[in-house]
Amino acid sequence: MLNRLTTNTRIFFEGAYYSYKALFRWLRPATYLASEVFAPLTMMIFFVYIGAYASGSNSASFYVIGNSLIFAASSGIFGVTMSVGGERWSGTLPYLFGSPANRWAMFVGRAVMHVLNGMLGVFIGLGWGILLFKLDLSHTDPLALLLTILITTFSTSGLGLLMGCLSLITRNVMLVNNTVYFLLLVFSGANIPVGDLPRWMQVISQGLPLTRGVACARTIIDGGSLADVLPLLQVEFLIGVILTILGYFLFKIFEIEAKRMGTLDIF
Amino acid sequence: MKRIGLNLRIMARAFEIELRQNMTDGFVLFGILIQPLIVAFMALWMLKGKGPDYAIFVVIGSGMTGLWTTLLFNGGNSITGERWTGTLEPLVASPASLRVVIYGKVLANVTQSLLSMIGSYFLISFAMGYPLTLTYPGLFFLSLVISVFSLVSFGLILASFFILIPDFARMVNTLEFPVYILCGFLFPIALLPGWTTPLSYLLSPYWAALALHGAAQGTLEPLQIVGTWGIMAFFSLVYILASGRLYRVILRKARRDATLDIVGN
Repeated sequence: MLNRLTTNTRIFFEGAYYSYKALFRWLRPATYLASEVFAPLTMMIFFVYIGAYASGSNSASFYVIGNSLIFAASSGIFGVTMSVGGERWSGTLPYLFGSPANRWAMFVGRAVMHVLNGMLGVFIGLGWGILLFKLDLSHTDPLALLLTILITTFSTSGLGLLMGCLSLITRNVMLVNNTVYFLLLVFSGANIPVGDLPRWMQVISQGLPLTRGVACARTIIDGGSLADVLPLLQVEFLIGVILTILGYFLFKIFEIEAKRMGTLDIF
Repeated sequence: MKRIGLNLRIMARAFEIELRQNMTDGFVLFGILIQPLIVAFMALWMLKGKGPDYAIFVVIGSGMTGLWTTLLFNGGNSITGERWTGTLEPLVASPASLRVVIYGKVLANVTQSLLSMIGSYFLISFAMGYPLTLTYPGLFFLSLVISVFSLVSFGLILASFFILIPDFARMVNTLEFPVYILCGFLFPIALLPGWTTPLSYLLSPYWAALALHGAAQGTLEPLQIVGTWGIMAFFSLVYILASGRLYRVILRKARRDATLDIVGN
Protein backbone atom coordinates (compact mmCIF):
# COMPACT_ATOMS: atom_id res chain seq x y z
CA MET A 1 0.00 0.00 0.00
CA LEU A 2 2.72 2.42 1.09
CA ASN A 3 4.90 1.27 -1.78
CA ARG A 4 2.13 1.98 -4.25
CA LEU A 5 1.50 5.40 -2.76
CA THR A 6 5.21 6.23 -3.07
CA THR A 7 5.28 5.10 -6.70
CA ASN A 8 2.16 7.09 -7.58
CA THR A 9 3.52 10.18 -5.86
CA ARG A 10 6.76 9.81 -7.83
CA ILE A 11 4.84 9.43 -11.10
CA PHE A 12 2.73 12.45 -10.22
CA PHE A 13 5.69 14.76 -9.62
CA GLU A 14 7.96 13.33 -12.32
CA GLY A 15 5.14 13.62 -14.85
CA ALA A 16 4.55 17.20 -13.73
CA TYR A 17 8.22 18.10 -14.02
CA TYR A 18 9.04 16.36 -17.30
CA SER A 19 5.90 17.42 -19.14
CA TYR A 20 6.63 21.04 -18.24
CA LYS A 21 10.28 20.66 -19.17
CA ALA A 22 9.33 19.13 -22.52
CA LEU A 23 7.15 22.13 -23.29
CA PHE A 24 9.61 24.88 -22.45
CA ARG A 25 13.16 23.56 -22.00
CA TRP A 26 14.01 23.94 -25.67
CA LEU A 27 13.21 27.65 -25.58
CA ARG A 28 15.89 30.22 -24.91
CA PRO A 29 15.33 32.21 -21.69
CA ALA A 30 14.50 35.36 -23.65
CA THR A 31 11.93 33.53 -25.77
CA TYR A 32 10.41 31.88 -22.69
CA LEU A 33 10.14 35.23 -20.92
CA ALA A 34 8.70 36.86 -24.01
CA SER A 35 5.90 34.33 -24.28
CA GLU A 36 5.26 34.03 -20.54
CA VAL A 37 5.67 37.66 -19.45
CA PHE A 38 5.57 40.00 -22.42
CA ALA A 39 2.75 38.50 -24.53
CA PRO A 40 0.16 38.47 -21.70
CA LEU A 41 1.24 41.99 -20.72
CA THR A 42 0.50 43.32 -24.20
CA MET A 43 -2.96 41.78 -24.10
CA MET A 44 -3.58 43.42 -20.74
CA ILE A 45 -2.45 46.80 -22.07
CA PHE A 46 -4.74 46.44 -25.08
CA PHE A 47 -7.85 45.89 -22.95
CA VAL A 48 -6.87 48.47 -20.33
CA TYR A 49 -6.61 51.10 -23.06
CA ILE A 50 -9.92 50.14 -24.66
CA GLY A 51 -11.40 50.44 -21.18
CA ALA A 52 -9.68 53.77 -20.65
CA TYR A 53 -11.01 54.99 -24.00
CA ALA A 54 -14.50 53.82 -23.09
CA SER A 55 -14.82 55.08 -19.57
CA GLY A 56 -11.82 57.10 -18.46
CA SER A 57 -8.48 56.00 -17.02
CA ASN A 58 -9.83 55.55 -13.47
CA SER A 59 -11.31 52.23 -14.59
CA ALA A 60 -7.86 50.75 -15.22
CA SER A 61 -7.85 48.60 -12.06
CA PHE A 62 -10.99 46.79 -13.27
CA TYR A 63 -9.20 45.66 -16.45
CA VAL A 64 -5.83 45.10 -14.77
CA ILE A 65 -7.31 42.68 -12.23
CA GLY A 66 -9.49 40.93 -14.83
CA ASN A 67 -6.65 40.47 -17.29
CA SER A 68 -4.16 39.44 -14.59
CA LEU A 69 -6.49 36.60 -13.64
CA ILE A 70 -6.71 35.71 -17.33
CA PHE A 71 -3.02 34.77 -17.08
CA ALA A 72 -4.15 31.89 -14.89
CA ALA A 73 -6.46 30.71 -17.67
CA SER A 74 -3.73 31.15 -20.26
CA SER A 75 -1.41 28.83 -18.39
CA GLY A 76 -4.21 26.49 -17.37
CA ILE A 77 -5.70 26.07 -20.82
CA PHE A 78 -2.73 26.28 -23.20
CA GLY A 79 -0.07 24.79 -20.92
CA VAL A 80 -2.10 21.88 -19.62
CA THR A 81 -3.64 21.10 -23.01
CA MET A 82 -0.26 21.02 -24.69
CA SER A 83 1.14 18.84 -21.87
CA VAL A 84 -1.57 16.23 -22.41
CA GLY A 85 -2.02 16.62 -26.17
CA GLY A 86 1.71 16.95 -26.76
CA GLU A 87 2.13 13.27 -25.88
CA ARG A 88 0.26 12.42 -29.05
CA TRP A 89 2.14 14.85 -31.27
CA SER A 90 5.51 13.69 -30.00
CA GLY A 91 4.58 10.02 -30.40
CA THR A 92 4.89 9.16 -26.71
CA LEU A 93 1.19 8.44 -26.12
CA PRO A 94 1.42 4.68 -26.89
CA TYR A 95 4.22 4.31 -24.31
CA LEU A 96 2.19 6.24 -21.77
CA PHE A 97 -0.92 4.14 -22.33
CA GLY A 98 1.19 0.98 -22.49
CA SER A 99 2.74 1.60 -19.08
CA PRO A 100 1.17 0.26 -15.87
CA ALA A 101 1.42 3.71 -14.24
CA ASN A 102 -1.53 5.01 -12.28
CA ARG A 103 -3.63 7.06 -14.70
CA TRP A 104 -4.89 9.55 -12.12
CA ALA A 105 -1.35 10.41 -10.96
CA MET A 106 -0.19 10.60 -14.57
CA PHE A 107 -3.12 12.72 -15.75
CA VAL A 108 -3.52 15.20 -12.90
CA GLY A 109 0.25 15.56 -12.53
CA ARG A 110 0.28 17.24 -15.94
CA ALA A 111 -1.46 20.26 -14.41
CA VAL A 112 0.74 20.87 -11.37
CA MET A 113 3.50 22.96 -12.91
CA HIS A 114 0.96 24.96 -14.87
CA VAL A 115 -0.94 25.81 -11.70
CA LEU A 116 2.31 27.22 -10.28
CA ASN A 117 3.11 28.86 -13.59
CA GLY A 118 -0.36 30.39 -13.77
CA MET A 119 -0.04 31.76 -10.24
CA LEU A 120 3.28 33.32 -11.14
CA GLY A 121 1.63 34.80 -14.24
CA VAL A 122 -1.10 36.42 -12.13
CA PHE A 123 1.51 37.91 -9.78
CA ILE A 124 3.43 39.26 -12.76
CA GLY A 125 0.19 40.71 -14.17
CA LEU A 126 -0.64 42.44 -10.90
CA GLY A 127 2.97 43.64 -10.69
CA TRP A 128 2.66 45.22 -14.14
CA GLY A 129 -0.63 46.72 -12.97
CA ILE A 130 1.11 48.36 -10.00
CA LEU A 131 3.99 49.60 -12.14
CA LEU A 132 2.10 50.81 -15.19
CA PHE A 133 -1.43 51.55 -14.05
CA LYS A 134 -1.00 52.44 -10.35
CA LEU A 135 -3.00 49.46 -9.13
CA ASP A 136 -3.59 50.00 -5.40
CA LEU A 137 -3.12 46.88 -3.25
CA SER A 138 -2.97 48.76 0.07
CA HIS A 139 -6.37 47.43 1.22
CA THR A 140 -5.70 43.89 0.07
CA ASP A 141 -5.60 40.85 2.34
CA PRO A 142 -2.57 39.05 0.81
CA LEU A 143 -3.53 35.59 2.07
CA ALA A 144 -7.06 35.88 0.72
CA LEU A 145 -5.69 37.04 -2.63
CA LEU A 146 -3.16 34.19 -2.69
CA LEU A 147 -5.91 31.65 -2.00
CA THR A 148 -8.08 33.20 -4.71
CA ILE A 149 -5.27 33.01 -7.24
CA LEU A 150 -4.46 29.40 -6.27
CA ILE A 151 -8.07 28.25 -6.57
CA THR A 152 -8.66 30.14 -9.82
CA THR A 153 -5.53 28.69 -11.38
CA PHE A 154 -6.58 25.23 -10.23
CA SER A 155 -10.07 25.59 -11.71
CA THR A 156 -8.80 26.85 -15.07
CA SER A 157 -6.26 24.02 -15.12
CA GLY A 158 -9.21 21.67 -14.67
CA LEU A 159 -10.62 23.15 -17.87
CA GLY A 160 -7.16 22.67 -19.44
CA LEU A 161 -7.19 18.97 -18.48
CA LEU A 162 -10.60 18.58 -20.12
CA MET A 163 -9.39 20.42 -23.25
CA GLY A 164 -6.23 18.30 -23.21
CA CYS A 165 -8.40 15.21 -23.57
CA LEU A 166 -10.12 16.76 -26.57
CA SER A 167 -6.71 17.38 -28.08
CA LEU A 168 -6.26 13.60 -28.11
CA ILE A 169 -9.10 13.23 -30.60
CA THR A 170 -8.89 16.36 -32.76
CA ARG A 171 -6.32 17.81 -35.12
CA ASN A 172 -7.59 21.33 -34.56
CA VAL A 173 -6.56 21.64 -30.95
CA MET A 174 -5.35 25.24 -31.36
CA LEU A 175 -8.72 26.23 -32.81
CA VAL A 176 -10.55 24.70 -29.84
CA ASN A 177 -8.13 26.11 -27.25
CA ASN A 178 -8.06 29.62 -28.62
CA THR A 179 -11.83 29.73 -29.00
CA VAL A 180 -12.38 28.62 -25.40
CA TYR A 181 -9.74 31.07 -24.16
CA PHE A 182 -11.24 34.02 -26.02
CA LEU A 183 -14.75 33.07 -24.92
CA LEU A 184 -13.49 33.14 -21.32
CA LEU A 185 -12.36 36.72 -21.96
CA VAL A 186 -15.99 37.57 -22.73
CA PHE A 187 -17.89 35.40 -20.26
CA SER A 188 -15.64 35.56 -17.18
CA GLY A 189 -16.20 39.23 -16.47
CA ALA A 190 -12.52 40.01 -17.00
CA ASN A 191 -13.34 42.78 -19.45
CA ILE A 192 -17.11 43.18 -19.32
CA PRO A 193 -18.95 43.17 -15.97
CA VAL A 194 -20.98 39.93 -15.85
CA GLY A 195 -24.01 41.92 -14.69
CA ASP A 196 -23.94 43.91 -17.96
CA LEU A 197 -24.16 40.79 -20.14
CA PRO A 198 -27.49 39.51 -21.48
CA ARG A 199 -29.25 37.10 -19.11
CA TRP A 200 -28.43 33.95 -21.13
CA MET A 201 -24.74 34.88 -21.13
CA GLN A 202 -24.80 35.43 -17.37
CA VAL A 203 -26.11 31.88 -16.93
CA ILE A 204 -23.17 30.52 -18.96
CA SER A 205 -20.74 32.73 -17.02
CA GLN A 206 -21.85 31.22 -13.75
CA GLY A 207 -21.00 27.72 -14.97
CA LEU A 208 -17.46 28.58 -16.03
CA PRO A 209 -14.20 28.61 -14.12
CA LEU A 210 -12.55 32.02 -13.68
CA THR A 211 -15.80 34.04 -13.33
CA ARG A 212 -15.88 33.80 -9.55
CA GLY A 213 -12.10 34.05 -9.29
CA VAL A 214 -12.13 37.42 -11.08
CA ALA A 215 -15.01 38.66 -8.91
CA CYS A 216 -13.23 37.52 -5.71
CA ALA A 217 -9.93 39.15 -6.71
CA ARG A 218 -11.72 42.46 -7.36
CA THR A 219 -13.52 42.27 -4.01
CA ILE A 220 -10.32 41.45 -2.09
CA ILE A 221 -8.26 44.17 -3.78
CA ASP A 222 -11.09 46.55 -3.02
CA GLY A 223 -10.67 45.78 0.70
CA GLY A 224 -12.95 42.75 1.11
CA SER A 225 -12.04 39.93 3.50
CA LEU A 226 -11.68 36.20 2.94
CA ALA A 227 -15.04 35.67 4.64
CA ASP A 228 -16.68 37.91 2.02
CA VAL A 229 -15.50 35.79 -0.87
CA LEU A 230 -15.35 32.32 0.69
CA PRO A 231 -18.70 31.09 -0.70
CA LEU A 232 -17.64 32.12 -4.23
CA LEU A 233 -14.23 30.51 -3.82
CA GLN A 234 -15.83 27.27 -2.70
CA VAL A 235 -17.89 27.12 -5.89
CA GLU A 236 -14.83 28.04 -8.01
CA PHE A 237 -12.95 25.15 -6.37
CA LEU A 238 -15.87 22.80 -6.94
CA ILE A 239 -15.96 23.72 -10.64
CA GLY A 240 -12.24 22.90 -10.84
CA VAL A 241 -12.80 19.51 -9.17
CA ILE A 242 -15.71 18.66 -11.49
CA LEU A 243 -13.72 19.62 -14.61
CA THR A 244 -10.71 17.59 -13.47
CA ILE A 245 -12.81 14.50 -12.77
CA LEU A 246 -14.63 14.92 -16.09
CA GLY A 247 -11.28 15.25 -17.86
CA TYR A 248 -9.95 12.15 -16.13
CA PHE A 249 -12.94 10.04 -17.15
CA LEU A 250 -12.67 11.29 -20.73
CA PHE A 251 -8.96 10.43 -20.64
CA LYS A 252 -9.83 6.89 -19.53
CA ILE A 253 -12.55 6.55 -22.17
CA PHE A 254 -10.23 7.77 -24.93
CA GLU A 255 -7.56 5.33 -23.78
CA ILE A 256 -9.95 2.38 -23.88
CA GLU A 257 -11.41 3.45 -27.22
CA ALA A 258 -8.03 4.19 -28.79
CA LYS A 259 -6.72 0.77 -27.71
CA ARG A 260 -9.85 -0.97 -28.96
CA MET A 261 -9.86 0.82 -32.32
CA GLY A 262 -6.09 0.94 -32.75
CA THR A 263 -6.22 4.74 -33.25
CA LEU A 264 -3.65 5.93 -30.71
CA ASP A 265 -1.49 7.65 -33.31
CA ILE A 266 -4.09 8.44 -35.92
CA PHE A 267 -4.82 12.13 -36.38
CA MET B 1 5.85 42.17 -70.77
CA LYS B 2 5.89 38.39 -71.09
CA ARG B 3 7.73 38.20 -67.79
CA ILE B 4 5.07 40.26 -66.02
CA GLY B 5 2.39 37.94 -67.39
CA LEU B 6 4.35 34.90 -66.17
CA ASN B 7 4.84 36.39 -62.73
CA LEU B 8 1.14 37.23 -62.48
CA ARG B 9 0.28 33.64 -63.41
CA ILE B 10 2.67 32.29 -60.75
CA MET B 11 1.20 34.67 -58.21
CA ALA B 12 -2.34 33.59 -59.10
CA ARG B 13 -1.44 29.90 -58.69
CA ALA B 14 0.26 30.53 -55.34
CA PHE B 15 -2.81 32.54 -54.31
CA GLU B 16 -5.17 29.71 -55.24
CA ILE B 17 -3.19 26.95 -53.53
CA GLU B 18 -2.79 29.00 -50.36
CA LEU B 19 -6.54 29.68 -50.22
CA ARG B 20 -7.32 25.99 -50.66
CA GLN B 21 -4.87 24.98 -47.95
CA ASN B 22 -6.15 27.59 -45.52
CA MET B 23 -9.70 26.29 -45.85
CA THR B 24 -8.66 23.11 -44.06
CA ASP B 25 -6.71 24.84 -41.28
CA GLY B 26 -8.73 25.42 -38.12
CA PHE B 27 -6.28 27.96 -36.73
CA VAL B 28 -6.61 30.09 -39.88
CA LEU B 29 -10.37 30.04 -39.53
CA PHE B 30 -9.99 31.04 -35.88
CA GLY B 31 -7.80 34.03 -36.81
CA ILE B 32 -10.09 35.13 -39.62
CA LEU B 33 -13.52 34.56 -38.14
CA ILE B 34 -13.72 33.59 -34.50
CA GLN B 35 -11.17 35.87 -32.83
CA PRO B 36 -12.22 39.08 -34.64
CA LEU B 37 -15.88 38.38 -33.88
CA ILE B 38 -15.14 37.87 -30.18
CA VAL B 39 -12.96 41.01 -30.14
CA ALA B 40 -15.76 42.89 -31.96
CA PHE B 41 -18.31 41.73 -29.43
CA MET B 42 -16.13 42.73 -26.47
CA ALA B 43 -15.16 46.07 -27.96
CA LEU B 44 -18.76 46.84 -28.85
CA TRP B 45 -19.78 46.18 -25.28
CA MET B 46 -16.88 48.09 -23.78
CA LEU B 47 -17.20 51.10 -26.09
CA LYS B 48 -20.95 51.62 -26.01
CA GLY B 49 -21.61 55.20 -25.14
CA LYS B 50 -18.81 56.50 -27.40
CA GLY B 51 -21.23 58.20 -29.76
CA PRO B 52 -23.26 57.14 -32.80
CA ASP B 53 -20.26 56.14 -34.94
CA TYR B 54 -18.69 53.70 -32.52
CA ALA B 55 -20.24 50.58 -34.09
CA ILE B 56 -18.54 51.16 -37.46
CA PHE B 57 -15.35 52.01 -35.56
CA VAL B 58 -15.56 48.57 -33.88
CA VAL B 59 -16.29 46.78 -37.19
CA ILE B 60 -13.16 48.26 -38.77
CA GLY B 61 -10.99 47.95 -35.69
CA SER B 62 -11.86 44.32 -35.03
CA GLY B 63 -11.52 43.57 -38.75
CA MET B 64 -8.03 45.07 -38.64
CA THR B 65 -7.16 42.78 -35.71
CA GLY B 66 -8.14 39.82 -37.89
CA LEU B 67 -6.10 41.19 -40.79
CA TRP B 68 -3.02 41.64 -38.66
CA THR B 69 -3.32 38.27 -36.86
CA THR B 70 -3.65 36.46 -40.18
CA LEU B 71 -0.81 38.42 -41.75
CA LEU B 72 1.45 37.74 -38.77
CA PHE B 73 0.80 34.04 -38.28
CA ASN B 74 -0.06 32.83 -41.78
CA GLY B 75 1.55 35.39 -44.04
CA GLY B 76 4.64 35.34 -41.86
CA ASN B 77 4.81 31.56 -42.05
CA SER B 78 4.62 31.54 -45.85
CA ILE B 79 8.21 30.39 -46.31
CA THR B 80 8.56 28.30 -43.16
CA GLY B 81 5.30 26.52 -44.06
CA GLU B 82 6.94 25.31 -47.29
CA ARG B 83 9.91 24.21 -45.24
CA TRP B 84 7.72 22.16 -42.91
CA THR B 85 5.99 20.43 -45.81
CA GLY B 86 9.27 19.77 -47.61
CA THR B 87 8.35 21.82 -50.68
CA LEU B 88 10.81 24.66 -50.14
CA GLU B 89 13.68 23.04 -52.07
CA PRO B 90 11.68 22.47 -55.30
CA LEU B 91 10.25 25.96 -54.93
CA VAL B 92 13.71 27.50 -54.68
CA ALA B 93 15.10 25.31 -57.45
CA SER B 94 12.31 26.27 -59.88
CA PRO B 95 12.92 29.22 -62.22
CA ALA B 96 10.00 31.13 -60.65
CA SER B 97 10.93 33.92 -58.27
CA LEU B 98 10.48 32.88 -54.62
CA ARG B 99 9.37 36.43 -53.83
CA VAL B 100 6.57 36.29 -56.38
CA VAL B 101 5.32 32.98 -54.98
CA ILE B 102 5.39 34.34 -51.43
CA TYR B 103 3.65 37.53 -52.57
CA GLY B 104 0.81 35.40 -53.98
CA LYS B 105 0.57 33.42 -50.77
CA VAL B 106 0.52 36.48 -48.51
CA LEU B 107 -2.02 38.14 -50.81
CA ALA B 108 -4.26 35.09 -50.36
CA ASN B 109 -3.95 35.33 -46.58
CA VAL B 110 -4.68 39.04 -46.46
CA THR B 111 -7.57 38.83 -48.94
CA GLN B 112 -9.05 35.95 -47.01
CA SER B 113 -8.74 37.86 -43.75
CA LEU B 114 -11.00 40.59 -45.13
CA LEU B 115 -13.68 38.09 -44.16
CA SER B 116 -13.05 39.17 -40.57
CA MET B 117 -14.26 42.68 -41.40
CA ILE B 118 -17.25 41.31 -43.29
CA GLY B 119 -18.02 38.94 -40.40
CA SER B 120 -17.85 41.78 -37.88
CA TYR B 121 -20.11 43.87 -40.14
CA PHE B 122 -22.74 41.14 -40.26
CA LEU B 123 -22.52 40.43 -36.52
CA ILE B 124 -22.89 44.05 -35.53
CA SER B 125 -25.32 45.15 -38.22
CA PHE B 126 -27.65 42.18 -38.65
CA ALA B 127 -27.27 40.09 -35.50
CA MET B 128 -27.03 42.99 -33.05
CA GLY B 129 -29.02 45.55 -35.01
CA TYR B 130 -26.62 48.51 -35.01
CA PRO B 131 -26.94 50.94 -37.93
CA LEU B 132 -23.69 51.03 -39.92
CA THR B 133 -22.95 53.71 -42.49
CA LEU B 134 -19.80 54.73 -44.36
CA THR B 135 -19.23 58.48 -44.70
CA TYR B 136 -17.07 58.14 -47.84
CA PRO B 137 -17.86 54.69 -49.33
CA GLY B 138 -15.71 55.23 -52.44
CA LEU B 139 -12.69 56.40 -50.47
CA PHE B 140 -13.25 53.57 -47.99
CA PHE B 141 -13.06 50.85 -50.65
CA LEU B 142 -10.04 52.46 -52.30
CA SER B 143 -8.42 52.68 -48.85
CA LEU B 144 -9.15 48.99 -48.38
CA VAL B 145 -7.45 48.06 -51.67
CA ILE B 146 -4.38 50.16 -50.88
CA SER B 147 -4.29 48.79 -47.33
CA VAL B 148 -4.28 45.22 -48.68
CA PHE B 149 -1.40 46.07 -51.03
CA SER B 150 0.50 47.71 -48.20
CA LEU B 151 -0.08 44.85 -45.75
CA VAL B 152 0.93 42.22 -48.32
CA SER B 153 4.18 44.10 -48.94
CA PHE B 154 4.76 44.17 -45.18
CA GLY B 155 4.03 40.42 -45.13
CA LEU B 156 6.89 39.83 -47.58
CA ILE B 157 9.29 41.27 -45.05
CA LEU B 158 7.70 39.37 -42.16
CA ALA B 159 8.02 36.04 -44.00
CA SER B 160 11.73 36.65 -44.53
CA PHE B 161 12.22 37.39 -40.80
CA PHE B 162 10.89 33.92 -39.97
CA ILE B 163 13.83 32.46 -41.91
CA LEU B 164 16.56 35.00 -41.15
CA ILE B 165 15.92 35.34 -37.41
CA PRO B 166 15.81 31.88 -35.78
CA ASP B 167 13.88 33.02 -32.70
CA PHE B 168 11.37 35.08 -34.64
CA ALA B 169 8.83 32.25 -35.01
CA ARG B 170 8.96 31.58 -31.27
CA MET B 171 8.55 35.26 -30.43
CA VAL B 172 5.72 35.84 -32.87
CA ASN B 173 3.02 35.54 -30.18
CA THR B 174 4.43 38.66 -28.59
CA LEU B 175 3.86 40.74 -31.75
CA GLU B 176 0.12 40.30 -32.07
CA PHE B 177 -1.23 42.72 -29.46
CA PRO B 178 1.52 45.39 -29.66
CA VAL B 179 0.42 46.12 -33.22
CA TYR B 180 -3.24 46.24 -32.16
CA ILE B 181 -2.13 48.82 -29.58
CA LEU B 182 0.34 50.88 -31.62
CA CYS B 183 -1.84 51.04 -34.71
CA GLY B 184 -4.93 52.39 -32.96
CA PHE B 185 -7.24 49.64 -34.19
CA LEU B 186 -9.72 50.05 -31.32
CA PHE B 187 -8.64 53.20 -29.50
CA PRO B 188 -6.81 56.36 -30.60
CA ILE B 189 -3.03 56.26 -30.23
CA ALA B 190 -3.27 59.68 -28.57
CA LEU B 191 -4.08 57.76 -25.36
CA LEU B 192 -0.65 56.10 -25.44
CA PRO B 193 2.52 57.70 -24.04
CA GLY B 194 4.01 60.22 -26.51
CA TRP B 195 7.21 58.22 -27.10
CA THR B 196 5.23 55.44 -28.81
CA THR B 197 3.86 57.72 -31.54
CA PRO B 198 6.92 57.52 -33.85
CA LEU B 199 6.71 53.72 -33.61
CA SER B 200 3.10 53.87 -34.78
CA TYR B 201 4.09 56.08 -37.71
CA LEU B 202 6.57 53.44 -38.87
CA LEU B 203 3.93 50.72 -39.13
CA SER B 204 1.88 50.54 -42.31
CA PRO B 205 -1.10 48.91 -40.47
CA TYR B 206 -1.38 52.19 -38.53
CA TRP B 207 -1.87 54.17 -41.75
CA ALA B 208 -4.27 51.52 -43.04
CA ALA B 209 -6.37 51.77 -39.85
CA LEU B 210 -6.23 55.58 -40.00
CA ALA B 211 -7.44 55.66 -43.60
CA LEU B 212 -10.21 53.12 -43.02
CA HIS B 213 -11.47 54.68 -39.77
CA GLY B 214 -11.22 58.15 -41.34
CA ALA B 215 -13.15 57.21 -44.50
CA ALA B 216 -15.79 55.25 -42.59
CA GLN B 217 -16.48 57.81 -39.86
CA GLY B 218 -15.60 60.97 -41.76
CA THR B 219 -12.99 61.90 -39.16
CA LEU B 220 -10.50 62.66 -41.97
CA GLU B 221 -10.96 65.01 -44.91
CA PRO B 222 -10.74 63.34 -48.37
CA LEU B 223 -7.36 64.99 -48.96
CA GLN B 224 -6.03 63.62 -45.67
CA ILE B 225 -7.21 60.14 -46.67
CA VAL B 226 -5.34 60.48 -49.97
CA GLY B 227 -2.30 61.51 -47.89
CA THR B 228 -2.45 58.22 -45.96
CA TRP B 229 -2.55 56.36 -49.29
CA GLY B 230 0.65 58.12 -50.29
CA ILE B 231 2.34 57.06 -47.05
CA MET B 232 1.16 53.46 -47.48
CA ALA B 233 2.41 53.46 -51.09
CA PHE B 234 5.78 54.78 -49.91
CA PHE B 235 6.08 52.10 -47.22
CA SER B 236 5.04 49.40 -49.69
CA LEU B 237 7.76 50.50 -52.09
CA VAL B 238 10.33 50.41 -49.29
CA TYR B 239 9.17 46.95 -48.19
CA ILE B 240 9.26 45.57 -51.74
CA LEU B 241 12.73 46.96 -52.39
CA ALA B 242 14.00 45.70 -49.03
CA SER B 243 12.42 42.30 -49.57
CA GLY B 244 14.38 41.92 -52.83
CA ARG B 245 17.59 42.16 -50.88
CA LEU B 246 16.36 40.02 -47.97
CA TYR B 247 15.27 37.19 -50.28
CA ARG B 248 18.63 37.23 -52.02
CA VAL B 249 20.29 36.88 -48.60
CA ILE B 250 17.97 34.00 -47.70
CA LEU B 251 18.71 32.09 -50.89
CA ARG B 252 22.44 32.73 -50.78
CA LYS B 253 22.61 31.72 -47.13
CA ALA B 254 20.54 28.59 -47.73
CA ARG B 255 22.73 27.49 -50.66
CA ARG B 256 25.97 28.29 -48.86
CA ASP B 257 25.03 26.69 -45.52
CA ALA B 258 22.81 23.96 -47.02
CA THR B 259 20.12 24.79 -44.46
CA LEU B 260 17.12 25.04 -46.73
CA ASP B 261 15.22 22.14 -45.19
CA ILE B 262 16.56 22.43 -41.65
CA VAL B 263 13.67 23.51 -39.50
CA GLY B 264 14.57 25.95 -36.76
CA ASN B 265 17.50 27.59 -38.53
